[in-house]
Amino acid sequence: MPFSMIPTTWQPLAAAFVLAGLWLLSQHAQTLPTGRTLVFALSIGIALGVVLQRTRFCFYCHARDWLQRDDPRGILAIALALAIGVVGMTVVQSSWVANPQAGQLPPEMHIGPVSWVLVLAGLAFGAGMAVSGSCISAHWYRLAEGSAVAPFALLGTGLGFAIGFHTWNPLYSAAVADAPVVWLPQHLGYGGALALQLGALALWCAWIWQRHVQRRSAGAPAMQPQKARDLRSLWQSLWTGRWNYALGGALVGLISVATIVRMRPLGVTATLGSQVRGALQQRGWVPERLDGLDGFAGCATLPQESWATPNALVLAGLVGGAFVASLASRQFTPRRPTGRDALRGIIGGTLLGWGAMTGLGCTIGTLLSGGMAGALGAWVFGAAVLAALWLDFRLQAWRLR
Amino acid sequence: MTTTVPASGLHAFAIRLGSTVLLATLAGAALGNTASGGAATGPLVTTEWLAQNLNRGDIRVIEVSVNPGLYERAHIPGAVNLSWHNDLNDKLRRDIVGKQEFEKLLSRAGVKDDTTVVLYGDTNNWFAAWGAWVFDIYGVKNVKLLDGGRKKWEAESRPLNNRAAEYAATNYRVGKVNLDLRARLSDALAVAEGKSQAKLIDIRSGDEYQGKIFAPAGVPELAIRAGHIPGAVNVPWGQAVQEDGTFKPKEELRKLYAGVGIDGSKPVITYCRIGERSSHTWFALSKILGYDVKNYDGSWTEYGNAVGVPINNPAGTVWAAK
Repeated sequence: MPFSMIPTTWQPLAAAFVLAGLWLLSQHAQTLPTGRTLVFALSIGIALGVVLQRTRFCFYCHARDWLQRDDPRGILAIALALAIGVVGMTVVQSSWVANPQAGQLPPEMHIGPVSWVLVLAGLAFGAGMAVSGSCISAHWYRLAEGSAVAPFALLGTGLGFAIGFHTWNPLYSAAVADAPVVWLPQHLGYGGALALQLGALALWCAWIWQRHVQRRSAGAPAMQPQKARDLRSLWQSLWTGRWNYALGGALVGLISVATIVRMRPLGVTATLGSQVRGALQQRGWVPERLDGLDGFAGCATLPQESWATPNALVLAGLVGGAFVASLASRQFTPRRPTGRDALRGIIGGTLLGWGAMTGLGCTIGTLLSGGMAGALGAWVFGAAVLAALWLDFRLQAWRLR
Repeated sequence: MTTTVPASGLHAFAIRLGSTVLLATLAGAALGNTASGGAATGPLVTTEWLAQNLNRGDIRVIEVSVNPGLYERAHIPGAVNLSWHNDLNDKLRRDIVGKQEFEKLLSRAGVKDDTTVVLYGDTNNWFAAWGAWVFDIYGVKNVKLLDGGRKKWEAESRPLNNRAAEYAATNYRVGKVNLDLRARLSDALAVAEGKSQAKLIDIRSGDEYQGKIFAPAGVPELAIRAGHIPGAVNVPWGQAVQEDGTFKPKEELRKLYAGVGIDGSKPVITYCRIGERSSHTWFALSKILGYDVKNYDGSWTEYGNAVGVPINNPAGTVWAAK
């Protein structure tokens, strides 16, 4: 029987089993050193996994909906996540570093060097999104939907990291070593950085909306008045279709801020990167010394002594939470991968991995966590990713003519 | 006027009196040997004493941790942060923080001449002990270490918060700088060559001391040669602490070091890899046992990289190979 013919009635029950498994994992994590942080990381991961899956929060899809289908809701949700995160992280960071102009950076925040290498990393990452059909965080949650491409894309990401470790030292010498590490509050104060970033986001959103309105001369469809619903149907609505875009953006922003209060900023590549690096270093397949890499804040790839790191628990929670959400919504629809799926995944994933390694993080670690913290590099990386996607969609449109 | 207690109530009165005495005794035992509100005696304070005295204006709690973000996320309420990397070390030269910078740090922390400073930190108080050594070099009068450090405070589920402490700045001035607490390469070399009577104590792991490994796993700063300074005895720092991270009792410490010939009759030099773990042993020998001790902060990363100095390398490791 083909996968698509398998009934889905068992899925909500499976969701309950996954949830029980996550609870057992949290009980075990509690007994490990720094157990409280690990349990917090797992909880944050589960929340993120549920939110990403239920709101379909995906940088590639949101950009595609906007640039190709003139639906701006997703891209506005990303802007909302960034705006909420910028405000929240300003509150937290201003308590950590009282005087941002004194020269000290807030600890562990993803504030990295800005150079042409970062632009190259962003372009590669954007190209990887276009080829594989997702960013890395979305590939993680799409595992839970039975995506045929995601497993290959994540394998490709590992391969991309391996290539990135090989190209790091020459790129570091050529540009990264001398590149400025720019934290906006250091130059503009907290108020100035907040005004600049929120102002730029507001202008960008206004432009997106204006452009959307102009293209839709008929105007947006009128909102249907909602009938009051009872609790049961409200509950059911949580597990059908997808949640509101803006809710996704707001929750991603809040989760990112909550994360830094207790642990390192959100990122979904550090664990994969450090596993790949550890495995390759044992075999002598990557340079023993990666110049300056471990001194930068970002998705750190230094091999860890234990599997139980906060970042690994976030990832386990993200995938587990996405499985819970996907199964509870009966959206686990696996299909047999084709050769094209595998090729798209491996090639796209390799570009994603190289971009994430060279850019010290992906759209979550570098763009979201960095942008919210006031890192100029985050906005440069984000612009490069968007430029690559725009180019890809233009190319697609030109081919269709 | 005398009060007579009826015979029937005498029994109840005795029980009440007995239970009051018992409760008072238990409370006294719980408070340890430092009464709440009293001055802390000795170089260490207990977590219990600090919890009782947190809000006193003449006490300044200072965290010296090595892991970034730890203080910022949660610290003992009211504690000031001194970063080991950025505050207590010179940012450019390999050296401790300079006198003027140190004065600025203490002024910003609102420390006065009569302030009792309580230091604590992560990784078994290594870096807090290193801080205590720097504070002693600059002659800060009342410096204490929180016995057990962050680890014990957290294990006892004592309160933490993440508010950055703000105190009215003072104008702290360092008096005499006591460089007798600091050993240099020449001091270590003099012992190795038999020109000095001082005793060297290497507090690194047995494998580092033997020269089997150059440094603990994951440490990037290495020496060209492995092994130890000739004449040094090896007492890993961990032998000085109990399970909960607190120092062993004074007499146990005395016995431990006497077992390797360190009894205070001769000056002592402690060293490790970069001088932070050895500060912990410096604290035990100097502040708890009262011996004459210098800490060699150049430690093995300086000595093992120095040209032409004698070394001992039982493992025979040369250039990271046999």
